[in-house]
Amino acid sequence: MAARPKRYAMVVDSKKCINCKACVVACRAENSVPLAYSRPWMNEETRGVWPKLMAAFAPEQCHQCDHPACVRVCPTGASHHRPDGIVVVNEAECVGCRYCMIACPYDARFFREDKGVVEKCDFCVHRLERGQLPACVETCPSKVRVFGDLNDPKSKLAELLSDRQYRVKKPEAGTGPQIYYLI
Amino acid sequence: MKIIEWGVLIVNYLFLGGLSAGLFFVSAIATFLYKLDEPSPYTRIARLGALMAPWPVMIGCLLLIFDLGRWYHFYKLFLHLRLVSPMSIGSWLLVLFNLVALVNCYAWLTERQRNDLFAKLPRRLAFLGKFNYDIDHWRRRLAFAGMPISVGVGIYTGVLLGAVQSRPFWNTNLVAQLFLFSALSTGCAALILGLAGREQPVQEMKLLYGFDICFMVLEFFIVLPYLIHGQLSVQAVQDSLKLILGGPFTILFWVFFLGLGLLTPLVIELRELVPVVVSNREFHYNRILAATTALLILGGGFLLRYIFVYAGQMSAMQ
Repeated sequence: MAARPKRYAMVVDSKKCINCKACVVACRAENSVPLAYSRPWMNEETRGVWPKLMAAFAPEQCHQCDHPACVRVCPTGASHHRPDGIVVVNEAECVGCRYCMIACPYDARFFREDKGVVEKCDFCVHRLERGQLPACVETCPSKVRVFGDLNDPKSKLAELLSDRQYRVKKPEAGTGPQIYYLI
Repeated sequence: MKIIEWGVLIVNYLFLGGLSAGLFFVSAIATFLYKLDEPSPYTRIARLGALMAPWPVMIGCLLLIFDLGRWYHFYKLFLHLRLVSPMSIGSWLLVLFNLVALVNCYAWLTERQRNDLFAKLPRRLAFLGKFNYDIDHWRRRLAFAGMPISVGVGIYTGVLLGAVQSRPFWNTNLVAQLFLFSALSTGCAALILGLAGREQPVQEMKLLYGFDICFMVLEFFIVLPYLIHGQLSVQAVQDSLKLILGGPFTILFWVFFLGLGLLTPLVIELRELVPVVVSNREFHYNRILAATTALLILGGGFLLRYIFVYAGQMSAMQ
């Protein structure tokens, strides 16, 4: 029987997030991202009035959409969808038109002025090929992120998605985001 | 606030691309409005439009290339044709339009102009002299072939923005139509400006005012449903419209684009043309008024692109 194709995705349990930003730092180090830019970022929200205050943190990064708007608009095919679901940018083909950045509903891409190309999170594909986890997942001290294969029913990711309630961001964009936030 | 990725270079490119499309389209229509063996005032419109059409879009294409992060890789746009990407289709459309507009421009040169042009070629390029053909008889064929391409270029500038689902300010088919009629109207205005310096271009002006009034009325009746539908749409679209309804682009949109750039020239042109058509009065051609009207339309066309490019990037889904 042919092996089932992989479909990588991520679950985020933002209630566990303590906003230490280790994921951001680890990603920068792993992918040589200069200080001015960041592939993952933190959303911070505070509610209420002191002393009854609530602070919520939720990490976010490229949602590796099923129908990515960035891939659709790219004029050269530099932004493309891998068979395992990861959306990557082929730097050699990128002309730096930034249409993908404008098309992304999550603003998950940034323009590297020094290289003249667009960059984004790619779930650390180079690490996945070595059998390692993405740097942000591995480094997170409170295990906010769970990374895995959606098509593997035995994976921790699939287990969480079948047991827990979750939501995705901006489903109305119709891009089929693959970062699942546990409720 | 959103980061603005497409700035003034793109605004200029969208304006210049539309201007060329309009020049070509109006010139092409004028090409069919006279009998080949009779002298007609409309040949002046056709000739001037054909001679002017290729240059704005060429400058626009250069701006587009220099806006790229790696401008020296622009050729990669032409190693691919991606039918799902408006930018990919647009790149090819621009090449096609540039070629047709250039050949059409050449076809409208007089024999003397052609000979002067080839005489000025540097010695190394002297071999190009063998291309000194008279292709006057191609004019109508070129106009016929180029018309849909020019409309394509005019629409494409709007589709480029309208196809972005994540920017509610843009994501409607009305943007493409708005940009098309604005493009045709700026083309008319450039011709009015170009002819304003000539000797009594009364017949030409009547025709151009007539076209321009049609284009501006259509443009106005696209702006209206754009605003009304936007207000009746989902929250994200309503919020995005706040950028021109109380937000940073309000004065620019209502006073400078809609007031001075669209309605004022429309009223001036109606005031000039309606008595001629309805009461059969004599057309009082006023050179300064015509030039002012044309400049207002061109300014309005530029502002429309400016407002849409910037406000669109500042709008987002909630």
